Amino acid sequence: MAEDWIIEAADVRKTYADADALRGLDLCVPRGSIAALVGRNGAGKTTLIKILMGMARPTAGLARVFGLDAASPPESVEIRRRIGFASEEKDLDGSMTVEGMIRFTAAFFPRWRPDLQQRFLRKFELPPRRRVKALSRGMRTKLALLLALCRGAELLILDEPTAGLDPAMADEVLQTIVAHVMDEETTVFFSSNQIAEVEQIADRVTIIDRGRAVVAGAIDELRERYCRIQMVFEDAAPAAAFRAPGVERVQRDGRVLTVLSSRGSAAVLEEARDLRPLSTEVRPVNLKEIFLESVAGED
Amino acid sequence: MLWYKSWLETRWRFLIGLGLLICSAWVMVFTYPQVLKLMPMISRDGGGELGQRIREAAELARTFRGFVWSDWFHRNHSQLATLFAILLGTASLLRPSGGALYLLSLPVSRQRLVAVRATTGLAELLVLALLPALLIPILAPAIEQTYGAGAALVHGVCLFVVAAVFYNFAFLLSTIFSDPWRPPLIAGAAAIALSLTDRFIPFFRVMSAESYFRRGALPWGGLLAAGAIAAALYYAAAANLARRDV
Amino acid sequence: MLFRPNSSSGVPIYLQLMEQVKHAVETGALREGDQLPGIRPLAEELVMNPNTVAKAYRELEHEGVIELRHGAGAFVTRNARAGKLADALRAAQTAVASTVERLRSRGISDEEIRRLVEAELAAPNRKGGRRG
Repeated sequence: MAEDWIIEAADVRKTYADADALRGLDLCVPRGSIAALVGRNGAGKTTLIKILMGMARPTAGLARVFGLDAASPPESVEIRRRIGFASEEKDLDGSMTVEGMIRFTAAFFPRWRPDLQQRFLRKFELPPRRRVKALSRGMRTKLALLLALCRGAELLILDEPTAGLDPAMADEVLQTIVAHVMDEETTVFFSSNQIAEVEQIADRVTIIDRGRAVVAGAIDELRERYCRIQMVFEDAAPAAAFRAPGVERVQRDGRVLTVLSSRGSAAVLEEARDLRPLSTEVRPVNLKEIFLESVAGED
Repeated sequence: MLWYKSWLETRWRFLIGLGLLICSAWVMVFTYPQVLKLMPMISRDGGGELGQRIREAAELARTFRGFVWSDWFHRNHSQLATLFAILLGTASLLRPSGGALYLLSLPVSRQRLVAVRATTGLAELLVLALLPALLIPILAPAIEQTYGAGAALVHGVCLFVVAAVFYNFAFLLSTIFSDPWRPPLIAGAAAIALSLTDRFIPFFRVMSAESYFRRGALPWGGLLAAGAIAAALYYAAAANLARRDV
Repeated sequence: MLFRPNSSSGVPIYLQLMEQVKHAVETGALREGDQLPGIRPLAEELVMNPNTVAKAYRELEHEGVIELRHGAGAFVTRNARAGKLADALRAAQTAVASTVERLRSRGISDEEIRRLVEAELAAPNRKGGRRG
């Protein structure tokens, strides 16, 4: 069972001196998917990724990659050998040149792909002899991506891969990731707070809020499950409590009653019939709305 | 590749330190003839404590060997070596820039990262301790003096062992603080404090192998203690980095 | 010819892609025997998840709009509805135009018209209602 999930986190907790970054996070990523981790800034995305990479240790709970325990130092070294990782581009060594960074990184990965290295150097137009600190932000991000993709890894873990990039560059990065996934049959796990790009390339999403996973699943399936049912009444909308499972939120606004459901509309419409609304509308909900609804509520 | 990276990180400090120490040794050797000529000018009495110390130094300077010890091994060499031991030991293990975090995301154990970085700096420190010292027997004939290579070697090694303590202290501090200022400042303050209490805690006397100079007896106790402390500091640094979150 | 699905729309992306293909077939832009772009190049060009493209193609095959010839690619099937539907679509276009005109003249805004249509399509328990 452990091998089905390339990444698996069970009730992971991480407490720092001044805050609880993760409060019992569950997550699983199947092999072969493009999975996104979405959340507001400070929700715990980077903390989880650091734990998966062995750069931080969980206070409690289990985090596994390739079935190996991320909290055990020797297993973590093995995990890192099989991962293509790119985090903030400022983590690169500023004083090294582009080709220096490439040579340096390649030395640690026996499955390094010189063919991909050549291809990306050309595609990203990276000047080999320029120092990293003299590169623009976009170039540094592309270099970080190159360093991740050429490792011959089975899993890519990317922390906000398009952060700070203009739309054209962001698109280029996403396109590179998509192409790479297909050519190399890699699994991708990336964190982002750009919902649009998540909807575009990911097939699975985990929404994290205040250290916990609040929504998780295949994106298509989420879009089919979530819907908004809007009812207009003759007079003020009744203060109805819906007992149907999956009712996430009920809003009254004058003559309008709006119900957000995460389990389809059938059950809610059943209950709604008794209220005798003038009209009923069922509308689809996109991932952005699901996100906003999931992170808005009070505990 | 880790060795190369450690070298890149420390090479300027090493080269500058080596340059300074070689110059210092050179200057010291070639000013000795001048010093000898100035000897008779030191008055026999008066001057209080300072006068006493100057007379003591002058006494030692009568022989080249004494001069080398009092002016160089006991002073310049010790001070410069301590300074550069601290500078070399200040590692960028936790710095948020400069590639430190990148290293931690690579498939190397933290133990190995620490070991490679510490060893590189220590090797450089050994060169800083020995090379300038061995220069003295080579240069001595130029001023018609002699100096035993064996003695130079002994002094160099003693210096290295004690300087290693400061090196590892700065290294340990580098696993606690991620900024580049606190490790050298704290270690430097410790060095200054120790120099002031040298009468009670003979750090610098062991470093300059005073007992060997005066009586030919190697300060085994001090060397072993220094070695043990240095080793303990290293293991503390390794353990610290192993459990540190970044 | 195929353009990027709207990731902000509530409609699943694979459905949008299917719609585009079906629309292209119905208007005659894609004819019987025409080859569709391969899954990989299409995913790369539209910067989409390849699984989503694959799913769209599978569903289209299931509905008989295209056939996936092993090793050769995806091809539009013999779809006799193409011609008739082109006519039906033209008539539908006229019907929609006149309805929209009528509603506008009654003071109903374009936004409201759009929502009425979407709601009509999304509502269940009606004949030929919500897809999926």
